[in-house]
Amino acid sequence: MIELKGIKKVYRMGSQSLEALRGIDVTIAKGEFVSIMGPSGSGKSTLMNIIGCLDTPTDGRYLLDNDEVAGLSFDQLAAVRNRKLGFVFQNFNLLPYATAWENIELPMLFDGKSGRKRKQRVKELLDAVGLYDWRDHRPAELSGGQQQRIALARALANDPPILLADEPTGNLDSKSGEEIMAILTDLWKEGRTIVMVTHNDHIAAVSQRVIRLFDGQVV
Amino acid sequence: MNLTLPRFFWSEYRKRRKKASLITFALFWGTLSILLLMAFGQGMSTQSHVAFSGLGETLMMVYGGQTSLAFEGLPKGRPISLYPEDVDYLKDRIPEILRIAPEAYTYLQVSGGGKEINRTVHGTTAEFALMRTQVPQLGGRFLNADDVDKGRKVAFIGWKVASDLFGPGVDAVGKQIVINRIPFTVVGVLMKKIQDSMYNGPDADQVYLPFYAYRQIDNRRRINQIHIQPRDASQSKLIESRLRILLGRKYRFDPEDPYALSLWNTIEDYKQGEAIFKGIEMFLGIIGALTLLIGAVGVTNLMYAVAKERTREIGIKLAIGARRRVIVQQFFLETMFVFAKGTFWGFLTAFNIVNLVRLAPINYDSFGIEAYLLRPELSLQIFVVYMIILGVLVFLSGIFPALRASRSNPIESLRYE
Repeated sequence: MIELKGIKKVYRMGSQSLEALRGIDVTIAKGEFVSIMGPSGSGKSTLMNIIGCLDTPTDGRYLLDNDEVAGLSFDQLAAVRNRKLGFVFQNFNLLPYATAWENIELPMLFDGKSGRKRKQRVKELLDAVGLYDWRDHRPAELSGGQQQRIALARALANDPPILLADEPTGNLDSKSGEEIMAILTDLWKEGRTIVMVTHNDHIAAVSQRVIRLFDGQVV
Repeated sequence: MNLTLPRFFWSEYRKRRKKASLITFALFWGTLSILLLMAFGQGMSTQSHVAFSGLGETLMMVYGGQTSLAFEGLPKGRPISLYPEDVDYLKDRIPEILRIAPEAYTYLQVSGGGKEINRTVHGTTAEFALMRTQVPQLGGRFLNADDVDKGRKVAFIGWKVASDLFGPGVDAVGKQIVINRIPFTVVGVLMKKIQDSMYNGPDADQVYLPFYAYRQIDNRRRINQIHIQPRDASQSKLIESRLRILLGRKYRFDPEDPYALSLWNTIEDYKQGEAIFKGIEMFLGIIGALTLLIGAVGVTNLMYAVAKERTREIGIKLAIGARRRVIVQQFFLETMFVFAKGTFWGFLTAFNIVNLVRLAPINYDSFGIEAYLLRPELSLQIFVVYMIILGVLVFLSGIFPALRASRSNPIESLRYE
C-alpha cells in the first residue's frame, strides 16, 4: 500500500523557489489501478518520481507497505526501486548499447540473481511481451512499441508488486499504445498495483480511479 | 567470489570499446612518445659520456712548453721538454697520483700483411691502457709491464690499422708488423669504441709499442707527454699546481708561468661536458613533463566527456535499482582497464622500437650523429614515474564524474541530454 501524507516538493534555483507539490495526501491500495492526471506543470511527474523513490519529498511522509521511505539512504532507496517498484518511462530509457535481452536482465543483475534464474525469467518475460525473436536486437533496431514492451518487461524483471508508468503511451502510435495498455490491464488483473501518469482521458478510463492534480495539489 | 558484476562490466565495456578506443589510443600515443623522447635523450646522454671517456677517464696530460717569464736570471723563451725520468720523479713526490705513464710518438711507416701504411707509432707503458681506455679485442691484450721492462718487440694496434694491413675481419693477433726494419708481433687489437676527443687522430689509427722497444726506433731522449690519473678526480687541480712547482724547480721555470708547461685536464673538460649533459637531460625532462601535461589534459578531457555522455546511462541504472558502488566500481574498473591497455601497448611499442633501433650498427670509422642517436635507453624509472602521474590523473578524471553521477538524483541524470 502507498500512503502519502502532506507531501511537499520545493525546487530551489538560486534565490527563487518553485513549489511543485503543496501538501499531497494520497493513499493507493494494494491491487489498485490509479491514473494521475493534470495539466503540464501540475506536479504529476514529480509525484510519480516521489512514489517511485526516484526523488525525495521536501516535506511530508511516504509510507510504502507501512515502511517510512523518507528516511531511507540512497542505496536503501535503490533496493526499494529494484525489488518493489517497476518503472515504465514515456521515453523508454533503455540502454542503447545493450540488446533487448540484456536490458531486461539488468535489474536482476543489480539484485544479484543467479545466471540460471536470470535466463529463465528473461525468457518468460520476452515470451510474455511477444519479443523473444527480437532478443538480440538493440533498442535502435526496435519500433517504439517494441521498445516500450521491452521496458515493461524490464520493469517486471524482479516481479515487483507495484508498477509505475509515466505516460507509457505518450511516444507511441495508437495501436502500440493499445497493446501496452492491454498488457498493463492484464498485469493489474494479475494483482499488481498500477500507478499511471497520463494526459489522455481515454487511457485513464482504463484505470479504477483518477487522481487529478492542479498547481501541485489534488483537486 | 561472485563474478556476475565483473562479467557484466566486461560485457558492457566490450560493447563500448569503440568509444573507449580514442582514450586508449591517446594513452598509447602519450606513453609511446614520452618513453621514446626520454629513451633517445637518455641514450644521447649516455653515448656522450661513452664518447668522452673514449679518450680516457679522469685523465690529465702534461706536455712540455716554452717559458714566457724570466726566472732566476734565465731569460724567457726557453723550451721546456719532458724526459722519461720525470714520470718516477712526479710519482714519488705527488702521492695523489694513482697512475702515470710516459708517451713518445712519431709518424712512421708500418708494414704488415704485404702492405705499407704511415701511422703514428707510440711508445708507452702498461698503465697507459687503464688511463686511455685501451680495451683489447677478444684473444688479445695490451702491452704489459714485462713487455716494457724487457723491451719486447710486441705491438698493440688500433682496429683500423689491423684492418688496413691485414684486411677486415682478419685476426691480427700473432701476426708481424715491421717498423724501421724491426719486426714486432701484434699482441692485441683495440676494441671498437667511440671517441670524441683525441690527439694525433683516433686511437683506431695508432700503433703502441713498449716504451723501451720504441726507443730503438726513435732515439730522442725527450718524450712528448706524460699521462696522469689522480686517485680522486677532485685532486686534479692540486696535482696540477704541485707538478708545476716540482717541474719548475727541476727545469728552473716560474711555477706561475702559464706557457712553461702545457696541460690538458680532461677532468675539467668533463665537468663542462657534464653540465651540458645535465642541461640536455633537464631540457628533455621539461619537454617530457609538458608532453605529459598536454597528454593528461587531453585524456582528462576525454574521460570527462565520456563520463558526461554516460550520465543518462547512469540515471537509467540508478532508476532500475543499481547501488551507488556498482556505478563507481564499473567506472573505476573501466578507467583502469583502458589506462592499463593504452599504457601497456605504448610501453611495448616503445620497448620494441628502442630495441630495434639499438640493433642498428654504429659506424665506428666515421663516428657521426648516429653514434649518439642509435643507442636509446628505455628507463624503467621514468616509466614508473610516468605511470604513477598519469594513473593518478586518469583515475581522478574518470572517478570524479562517476562519483558525481552516482550521487546525483536519478531523475536529473535521466533528464541529461
